Amino acid sequence: MDALASQRAEVLRGTLEMLALTLLSDGPMHGWGISVRLREMSRDVFDVNQGSLYPALQAMLRRGWIKAQWGPSENNRRARFYSITREGRAQLESEISEWQRSSAAVNRVLRLAFQGG
Amino acid sequence: MGWFHELASSLGALIARRRQEAELRDEIRFHIDMETDRNMKRGLSEADARRVAMREFGGVERHKDDVRDERGAGALFDAWSDIRFATRALLRRPGFTAAATITLALGIGATTALFGVMKRVLLAPLPYRQPESIVEVWSAWKGFDQTWLSYDEWEGWKARVPAFADIGLFSDAAVTFDGDSPERVRSAAMHANILPILGVTPELGRNFTAEEDRPNGARVVMLGNGIWQRRFGGDRSIIGRHIQISGQASTVVGVLPSEFRLPTDFGGGERIEAYFPLATDAAAQGATPGPEFPKGGASHGFYAVARLAPGATAATANAQLRALVAELERFGYMANVGFHAFTIPVEEQITGRVRPVLLIVFGAVVFVLLIACANVAGLLLVRGESRRREMAVRIALGAGPRRLTRLLIAESAVLAAFGGTCGIGLAVLGVRLVRANAPITLPRVAETSLDWTVMLFAVVTSLGAALLAGILPAWQASELAPAGELKEGGRGTTTSRARLRWRQTLVAAEIALAVVLVTAAGLMIRSVRNLLDIDAGFKADGVLTMRLSTPSTWYPDSVRVVAFWNEVQRRVAAIPGVKHVGAVRLLPLATEMGDWGLQVDGYTPPMNQGTPGDWQIVTPGYFETMGIAARQGRVLDARDDMAAPLSMVVNRTFVERYFIGREPIGGRVRIGGSDSLSVYTVVGVVDDVRHNALTTEVKPAFYATVAQFARAPGNTRRSMSLVVKTDGDPASLVAPVRAAIKSLDSRLPISEIRTMKDIVNGSIAGPRFAMQALGVFGVLALVLSAIGIFGIVSQVVASRSHEFGVRAALGATPRELVMLSLRTGIRQAVAGLAAGIVIALLLTRLMTQMLQGVTPTDPLTFASVIIVTAAVTIAASIGPARRAGNTDPARVLSSA
Repeated sequence: MDALASQRAEVLRGTLEMLALTLLSDGPMHGWGISVRLREMSRDVFDVNQGSLYPALQAMLRRGWIKAQWGPSENNRRARFYSITREGRAQLESEISEWQRSSAAVNRVLRLAFQGG
Repeated sequence: MGWFHELASSLGALIARRRQEAELRDEIRFHIDMETDRNMKRGLSEADARRVAMREFGGVERHKDDVRDERGAGALFDAWSDIRFATRALLRRPGFTAAATITLALGIGATTALFGVMKRVLLAPLPYRQPESIVEVWSAWKGFDQTWLSYDEWEGWKARVPAFADIGLFSDAAVTFDGDSPERVRSAAMHANILPILGVTPELGRNFTAEEDRPNGARVVMLGNGIWQRRFGGDRSIIGRHIQISGQASTVVGVLPSEFRLPTDFGGGERIEAYFPLATDAAAQGATPGPEFPKGGASHGFYAVARLAPGATAATANAQLRALVAELERFGYMANVGFHAFTIPVEEQITGRVRPVLLIVFGAVVFVLLIACANVAGLLLVRGESRRREMAVRIALGAGPRRLTRLLIAESAVLAAFGGTCGIGLAVLGVRLVRANAPITLPRVAETSLDWTVMLFAVVTSLGAALLAGILPAWQASELAPAGELKEGGRGTTTSRARLRWRQTLVAAEIALAVVLVTAAGLMIRSVRNLLDIDAGFKADGVLTMRLSTPSTWYPDSVRVVAFWNEVQRRVAAIPGVKHVGAVRLLPLATEMGDWGLQVDGYTPPMNQGTPGDWQIVTPGYFETMGIAARQGRVLDARDDMAAPLSMVVNRTFVERYFIGREPIGGRVRIGGSDSLSVYTVVGVVDDVRHNALTTEVKPAFYATVAQFARAPGNTRRSMSLVVKTDGDPASLVAPVRAAIKSLDSRLPISEIRTMKDIVNGSIAGPRFAMQALGVFGVLALVLSAIGIFGIVSQVVASRSHEFGVRAALGATPRELVMLSLRTGIRQAVAGLAAGIVIALLLTRLMTQMLQGVTPTDPLTFASVIIVTAAVTIAASIGPARRAGNTDPARVLSSA
């Protein structure tokens, strides 16, 4: 197993969860759907194994942020659809505000650094 | 609410595992299919589209594993399947599994058994309320490091030591429960405040009242739980009943709880089973601290126990006692003998003396466990060696390093379960062994059992051992690089060498630990030998002893007592095989003896000092039976009867102390005060007998016959120990001697049937126990290390067979090859030996107080340990090394 890849996956895990939650806040999606949307949205910046999504989803299921239900897909196959729960939304909001706070801070630091240099 | 989802998820994982697995499979299949379609729409062929989809998904099995991990309880299932897998794998290799199981079982079993003993002896709470504030109170002066209190001291301490909330006295004796089957039991006489001080209430009935605890109070008794159950069938209506005890009617007022013991009754011998009021006479004996305190200190004969006042400690009590004693000494009380009084917390009193012995033995057993773990770790490493290809294939197939580690840990866990199960079995045997061999000075050791806490300890120990033994091999396995492993076709290089180094380190550590144990065992063997080399002054071989007593009910006067002993001796002497027979007041090394104030004509003691003499009352025949030789004059014999002139025999210390430069024979000794009429003439001098212990100083002692001592000073010995000497096995005499006594008086209970040899061994039971335990563990450690060395040399020889073949082909002689491989084992041995000696030098100091006549750094012991370890190393290496010498170059080279 590629040690570097596994490390990157660890780091990205939190981000992956947050992005998936964001997508699900617009409505239920199945795993593959989320995977495709993630790639489109980030223009393939998030170059993680598609399979990593599933442990992340399972973890969020366990924490009660999302729930899962089997239903027909767009091509009428049986697919597992995930939808966000109230707790998931609360979690997403707090993560977003946390993210904004820290990125604002980073921006300030960078701006100061560039002004200074 | 997070916990709720977590719980639901875990429960779901537990209940619906099969369904969840199917769903996971379906979900991933759906993903791959959709992705394949998407790729095909981009113009890829179906095969390519699927391959790309698979690649971009990443390892399917790995992600599945990760999802399972996220379910919560998944780990449990994985552990279960790992364990099933590991069990199957282990059962396929019965030799390896048996070796590892036995090794672990030995370590776990020994540790568990010892823990059981420790728990009972050291950790079990005392049966008192707040035992931490109970102290025993002692007096001490020259020649008596820790002895009883006098009545006056008790009154003084009670009135003038504020650190004592209350202090009470008790003493012990023996009584006979009369009836058809008379029973002799140990008894105690105690103040009515003893139970409140200890914080104990009777299980049935009540404690003595203050009125009963007075001279001429009602004759009442509290029964121990044991005799109540045994003799009275646990009858609750016993309260208020009159029973005959030693010829007197006594009213039962209470029954004590089964766990109750007086603080001095925690030995392994017979327990006290009858409690009477002490009924001290304040009017006759009482004196408040001051000039009226008797200068000589009067009779010291009571145990004392006190409850500390709130906020007081043993140290404050000791300080107050010091001040009070200093004040008393100004009045001349026990002056110039270094008199002092002190307290010892009851917990320390009961377990203090055995604590170091037990801790050292427990330390030794932990060493054995560590060695066992190291050995099993070594075995697992070797096994890992032969499984490298298997592991490499697993890694290549997508098993993550965590998964692999888990599998290996599971294997050692299964081994630990096997080892733990067998270990508990061994612990059961071990506890039995300890109970049979432990010194009776180990309090409550007979009650040792493997209860659930001990079982829990065994389980935790097994798990710890599994981790300890499994972690290194697992880590080594996770370092595996699959590509290299598979390419090369299984001929390992770097990892294999690293593993060998690890094994070598393990073996060196084992040897170091074994060296420490063997050193400790060696020191104890030397100590015990030194103890046994001490001349006790008598010969224990072939001597049988038993205690008999002649109650005043049936033997109202001394004439009848003397006649009884004469007749017993006549009948016992007639038994075939009996060489000598006699009787004595107190057996040496079985009891402690107090002294009697004497006046020796021609000897003036220094100011404020008495002329004490230990008093030993015997019947004619005692000296011959015990092999106590006369050095001057004669021993006491049948001539010294009631009518004859009063004659005594004294020991050599008596002569050295009181007949300095004078002829002792014919010397006159008065027993008691100057107005006493008991004037004895010294007729002989005998060797010193070590009475209180083998290692304590011998005090002046005199011997008188039971007949003459009854005449003057008029003290009829009711209880005596019969001693019988035979050339054969003393145990074979038990039945005939009992029969002889029964034929004379069937009412008399016989107790404390022991051989003199047992008594001698019992007196050094602590060091002997430590010696036996350390000896067993030392040998065990050596054997385990030898197995380790054997294994490592075998491995080296096997892995270098190719090299040896080349060397042999180039002209190396078998001898050279043997030496070459011997060296591999010896290097570990030398390293371990050096480390072990250093550790031993540091640790044996802890044993100082258990040693006798040998220093913790005894050169002889250390030299022997080096020789023994070296011999064991060579013996363990020689077998596999020989195989190296037999290397056939043609075969090795052609097979390569």
